[in-house]
Amino acid sequence: MRLRSLFSLLTVACLAALVLTACGGSSKKSTASAGGSGGTLITLAQAAAPGSPDPQINYTLQEWQMLIMTHDGLTAFKKAGGLAGTQVVPDLATTIPNPTEGGKTYVFTLRKGIKFSDGTTLKASDVTRTFERNFAVHGPTAGTFYKTIVGAAACLKTPATCDLSKNGVVPDDANNTVTFHLTNGDPEFLQKLAVPFASILPASTPMKAVTIPPPGTGPYKFVEYNLHKQIKLVRNTHFKVWSKDAQPAGNPDVIIQKFGLGPEAEVTQVENGQADWMFDPVPADRLNEIGNKYPNQVHINPLTADYYMAFNVRVPPFNNLKARQAVNYATDRNALVKIYGGPKLAVPSCQILPPNFPGYKPYCPYTKNPGSGKWTAPDLAKAKQLIAASGTKGASVKVNTDTTDTNKAFGLYFVGLLNSLGYKATLQALSPDLQYAYCQNSKNKVQFCWSAWSQDYPAASDFINILFGCSSFVPNSDASPNLSEFCDKGIQAQIDQALKQGITDPTGANVKWAAIDKAITNQAGWVTMFNPKQLDFVGKRVKGYQFSPQWYFLLDLASVK
Amino acid sequence: MAVFEPEAEGIVLDAEETGGDIVGRSPWALAGRRLLRNRISLAALALFLLIVIVSFGAPIYAHDIAHTDPFASNVTGTITLNGKTVDVIQQGTGPLGLGETPIGPTWTFRYLLGSDNQGRDVAARVLYGGRASLIIGLSSAGLACLLALLFALVAGFFGGLIDTVISRLMDLIWAFPVYLLAISLATVLLTSAHGLNLGLFTLSASSLWIPLLIIGLIYVPYVYRPIRGQVLSLREKEFVEAAIAQGAGSFRLIFREILPNVLSTVIVLLPLMIATTILTESALSYLSIGVQAPQASWGTIIQDGQALLYTRPWVAIAPGIMIVLTVLALNVFGDGLRDALDPRSKVRTK
Amino acid sequence: MLTFVVRRLVGLVAVLLVLSVLVFLIFFATPGIDPARRMAGRNPSQQTIAQIRHEFGLDRSLPVQYVLMMKHLFVTRDLISYGSQTKVIPEITSAAPVTFSLVIGAAVLWVVFSILVGLAAAVLRGTVLDPILMILALIGISVPVFWLGEVVNLFTQSRWHGFFLFSWVPPLGYTPLTQNPLKWFEGLVFPWLTLSVLYVGFYARVLRANLIETENEDYIRTARAKGISERRVLLRHNLRTSMITFVSLFGLDLGVLIGGGALLTEVVFGLPGVGQLTYTSLSGLDLPVILATVIYGAFFITIASALVDLLYAWLDPRVRPA
Repeated sequence: MRLRSLFSLLTVACLAALVLTACGGSSKKSTASAGGSGGTLITLAQAAAPGSPDPQINYTLQEWQMLIMTHDGLTAFKKAGGLAGTQVVPDLATTIPNPTEGGKTYVFTLRKGIKFSDGTTLKASDVTRTFERNFAVHGPTAGTFYKTIVGAAACLKTPATCDLSKNGVVPDDANNTVTFHLTNGDPEFLQKLAVPFASILPASTPMKAVTIPPPGTGPYKFVEYNLHKQIKLVRNTHFKVWSKDAQPAGNPDVIIQKFGLGPEAEVTQVENGQADWMFDPVPADRLNEIGNKYPNQVHINPLTADYYMAFNVRVPPFNNLKARQAVNYATDRNALVKIYGGPKLAVPSCQILPPNFPGYKPYCPYTKNPGSGKWTAPDLAKAKQLIAASGTKGASVKVNTDTTDTNKAFGLYFVGLLNSLGYKATLQALSPDLQYAYCQNSKNKVQFCWSAWSQDYPAASDFINILFGCSSFVPNSDASPNLSEFCDKGIQAQIDQALKQGITDPTGANVKWAAIDKAITNQAGWVTMFNPKQLDFVGKRVKGYQFSPQWYFLLDLASVK
Repeated sequence: MAVFEPEAEGIVLDAEETGGDIVGRSPWALAGRRLLRNRISLAALALFLLIVIVSFGAPIYAHDIAHTDPFASNVTGTITLNGKTVDVIQQGTGPLGLGETPIGPTWTFRYLLGSDNQGRDVAARVLYGGRASLIIGLSSAGLACLLALLFALVAGFFGGLIDTVISRLMDLIWAFPVYLLAISLATVLLTSAHGLNLGLFTLSASSLWIPLLIIGLIYVPYVYRPIRGQVLSLREKEFVEAAIAQGAGSFRLIFREILPNVLSTVIVLLPLMIATTILTESALSYLSIGVQAPQASWGTIIQDGQALLYTRPWVAIAPGIMIVLTVLALNVFGDGLRDALDPRSKVRTK
Repeated sequence: MLTFVVRRLVGLVAVLLVLSVLVFLIFFATPGIDPARRMAGRNPSQQTIAQIRHEFGLDRSLPVQYVLMMKHLFVTRDLISYGSQTKVIPEITSAAPVTFSLVIGAAVLWVVFSILVGLAAAVLRGTVLDPILMILALIGISVPVFWLGEVVNLFTQSRWHGFFLFSWVPPLGYTPLTQNPLKWFEGLVFPWLTLSVLYVGFYARVLRANLIETENEDYIRTARAKGISERRVLLRHNLRTSMITFVSLFGLDLGVLIGGGALLTEVVFGLPGVGQLTYTSLSGLDLPVILATVIYGAFFITIASALVDLLYAWLDPRVRPA
């Protein structure tokens, strides 16, 4: 039995060894010292921002939050928290010029002595080259934001030979000025110059998409861009502050964003002090925990964004106005808010424009006791009446969402709601990479589809015209952001008028936008669900958190020392 | 000198039994007798059958005992607990009032194991999930073993080009990106108007046939290999030579001589494969490319539970425990089967 | 021997070819796929989409696209991903060492433990330790790896991170061996344990079953009758034959894991290996990366299967190709 006892011993020993694994390690504690500048800001994200890292191609907030620290445009949104952050201030230009010739000409004078991170000096022809490059690399907004530049049409057709220097973006290196000529007045042009698509790059930047953002004029520069590991920004030694409003010198010396962890692990790291901020939303089951244990590290700010379900107004049963309004009356927006994370993270809404947006006036007809402009409770009786009057009972409906937890939960809620109203509803949950394009394409005849929209910049047309304008509905195309396929001639005429008025009289135009918002809401192209809020969970050593409605958490204004 | 005696595992002839009792009985009948004497195996089988019965009784539980609809979204619902009306999903406590948490296990028949993110009764869902997981697990394992057996017999026996072609085909299947196929198929079905039409019947996106067929197919190579190896070595054995000398044709050789001998390997592998297929189904469902809503399976419930791991771990733990119990029961029973089927084991008189 | 190698090489190429074609076809058969649209961003103009389509050759016919993609992958080696628009091959070469570290460490663990446990259980049959070992093994194989990983993280990173037992556990992620060997090791301990738990149980049971079965073979009885000691009978005669099934299953599993099959483990523990790359490319429907990872994985799987056949022939002389 020697063999047996040997094995018994081994077995027990192995079992014991498996239980004891530690081999000591000291945990280092850092002493926090008061102060502003220096240190490394460690941020986390599950994955790198999707799309090319090229500033003229990338269209994600995740990338933009970095690019505003490394690059500048002729104008910028003020780097400040609160409503001040929506103000457009001069950045590389000395002042904001008033447009001439009916809003078609802008003359910018560049500041002197600004250097890129590679040491070269900014000159006027860099600006021209940057805009030509926008067309050459097929930037996603080349044909939308910047199509009013003279010569843009030709550049869209043959990007390789794009030349704007004669008529569109005319440089004068000697006097350090750049003149923009537009085909029409554009009330949002100054804002369009403040987004990273219009960040000025050195003229020597290659005319095809790059794998790491090119040199910029900002206080930081990219030194590492590894999609599966991290990106790293260090100070740009050639940078000097020329306008604290537009581009202050940042506080941290180094900023990194590490990839590869899931959101649960990210929360744990921030809690443990191993990271300073996580880009991804905090998972629902940790909200209570961080709210209780780390309330001082939680910052909640309202977003100018909508979560909505879009009806297809051209396909039964929701080509019937009464049916659409009925669903709007029946929707319990509190349940949807609950699914999203509770009333602290979302505010019910019935209309298109979000609060604090130009042209916003509270309006909600789809509630019990309407009149206050706020949604309070669903009105099931009215909903049932409308359904009966519409004659659409019994129709089958596919509710389309993507497969992420929260959105699928919205879908399931609406499946239940539609079934209780007498429809035959089923859920159709597609991969997040397919769902948006699938909903946009009219040949798929999607009846009822989840989506969300947040601003590019604060202008009512960025919501209303893009989401409900007739030209935004492109049949049989994957790029048709007007999910409702909505096109009302009367409302479109109002939109055109408001756009025109905005060039000279933005305040008056905003009154018009509010009326348009009301009219579209009455047509019930959507079931607007709520306006979400942004929750930022920062590490305990982070001081000076500031939230701008345009760029959200201003990373370089915080300090970790 | 120490002698290593392979022990008889409780499968000995009783004192009253003599050799005469086993005379004239076929090997299968003998195996049946042995199996019936193995109490632990029988207990495991009973546990497994209990799980099956309870899972298939899910509608009765949900409707008559728990009075819930485990598939309907119930985010703003309430229940009465100890006389008080309580929200099924409650707002967070603390200074910020952040988060919404479903209720935990009530240990009563209403929301026995608590609620999930949608306000649904977890216990009822776990039972319904058992139905789907068991159907898929059992059928796909059976399918894989059956196909693997057929292929291995043919390839191992005939050898040569047939063997090469089949073995490379198996390599192809084994290397195949299952997840891609599953994603693509799920998307095709979800986006087609009425499901996939295959002549006789239509498959909707939530049909259990899809994960069943996919999982059954991809594990064929796994079972194929060991069986083929065994067929190769059996082919050289004396009793096969004897049969050939008697003038037996290929068909008879395969099905009457070789097959019975590999059958016990297959039977041993079957419960192991069921374990594997149940786990694979849970992995696919976890990635949202297995069982689709409105159907639930243990895997989809674990996925639901991922988002609640830190607050309501029961939602993820309960289906996990069910998987463990089911697989455990199957394997213990499988052991008993193997012991009963081994023709040269333990018939020793004490 | 040479014919064997040549035959298997031809088989390998054939498998890779057929696989790549199948992947290609499945990808384009999925509705809603339009890589140009996705690359074009949030709200592009029709012209932009058309131009991107042209630049990436997406307006050519499928066979032409296939040939171009294979050319970029194998000949010019500059295949570009649809997602990040950067080169694919460097992504794979930087992910491979991570997967190797994970898989080989776990494999060592599970082979050693499963042989020990399997031997122990077979030897200890009849005592109470046998069922205990087998039940532990069974629990190991019954647990979904993604769930186990999450629970492990829950305890080592969060709930019990303060205790000495787990305070050394570094944040999730991977540190290259060349950069900091200690951190590399510490960061891999729990992924190794989690991944091997699945396999130890399975292999221990397979080994035990084979050992018991082979016990009754005539040549074992002969060996014993010759007077050979128990330990030699067990280790030199019984174990070698019983390892046949063990080895063939091991080869298959190892091939799959190296090729990126430890997908869920890598995702749960934040290891940027080939498995995670496969997962992100699949959920992002990024065809060039999918194609590259599938071919990479298939390569290892097929090679492993050929090696296993070789080993099989060495272990069981009856099986050698005549």
